[in-house]
Amino acid sequence: MTSIKTDAAQATGERGRREALNESRVWHVFARRKYEEPLHEIGNVMADDVELAQVYARSIYDEFSWVEMVLVPRDAIVMVIAS
Amino acid sequence: MATTLVDNAALFTILSSLADNKQAIGRRYAFWCNGAPALEAAVAAAAMTQDELGHARTLYPLLADFAQGQDDLSQLDPMTRTLHHHLAYLDHDFRGWSDFVATNFLLDTALTTFFEAAQNSSYEPLRQRSRKIVQEERVHFMHAEGWVRRLAKAGGAVRATLIASLQRLWDETLCWFGPQDDPIMLRLYNEGIIDAMPDELRHRYLHKIMPILNELDIDVPVEFDATTKRWMPGQTLPWETWGVLARRTGET
Repeated sequence: MTSIKTDAAQATGERGRREALNESRVWHVFARRKYEEPLHEIGNVMADDVELAQVYARSIYDEFSWVEMVLVPRDAIVMVIAS
Repeated sequence: MATTLVDNAALFTILSSLADNKQAIGRRYAFWCNGAPALEAAVAAAAMTQDELGHARTLYPLLADFAQGQDDLSQLDPMTRTLHHHLAYLDHDFRGWSDFVATNFLLDTALTTFFEAAQNSSYEPLRQRSRKIVQEERVHFMHAEGWVRRLAKAGGAVRATLIASLQRLWDETLCWFGPQDDPIMLRLYNEGIIDAMPDELRHRYLHKIMPILNELDIDVPVEFDATTKRWMPGQTLPWETWGVLARRTGET
């Protein structure tokens, strides 16, 4: 039988594990299919480091054979006119 | 028109092992396509599953070109094959996400080290496949490196679980390259199918992964000879339980 105390400790541990692995940084994904086209935003991914952000962007937005794809971290964007 | 069969038991053994490992990795990864810690990681797991199974599917058909494969044609197709020359680590479902990360970081990187050594292979079908696989594996290594860093830096039970996964896979992965006098690797090397012997392959492999493990203070049994600037296992590998044909532990 599992005690309430053990259950609580497990729940805290599980919460801690989830919090430790939560992605918190947002990356905007820009891509283009032809060289004569401009880059346009196709979506975003969440990842705490740039390497994983690159892997996620490639695997999630793989519906076209892009000629170029770039990532911009949301926290690097400077707001000029707020919506 | 009759096709000339390739008669090379060493190459047949290695191609069987590569195909079986890629197939087993793909099947283990598949479980995590909807179980990864984050949606993005799950989608990446699905893409990596497809890549690994794709690698296996380009390797299995090569077995049919070998004289060694003609005795039992059912062993040439993954659907009917009963021989499983993949690592014993892959015999069972992963215990958790850390096993996925450890497999990608340790085992898949070891296989990639072999494919890198075969990029100028005298056996053209392996040369072509190696170049393509090495290209695709760059993304897998980025995923591996990123997740090893994340789990290690999370600390506590998460870090401990990662280290346990790495430790369980460590010896068997280093064994896969074979002992330095492995007759199979020796023949491949002598015939220009690969460009390095097992100790050199292990060094190249450790040279790739050790900077990351050192940076994260993850202790593994390796030695670095400062004079020769070469990496090597820090303890005797379990050769007494390792089978040269199946290239896995638990064989004797």
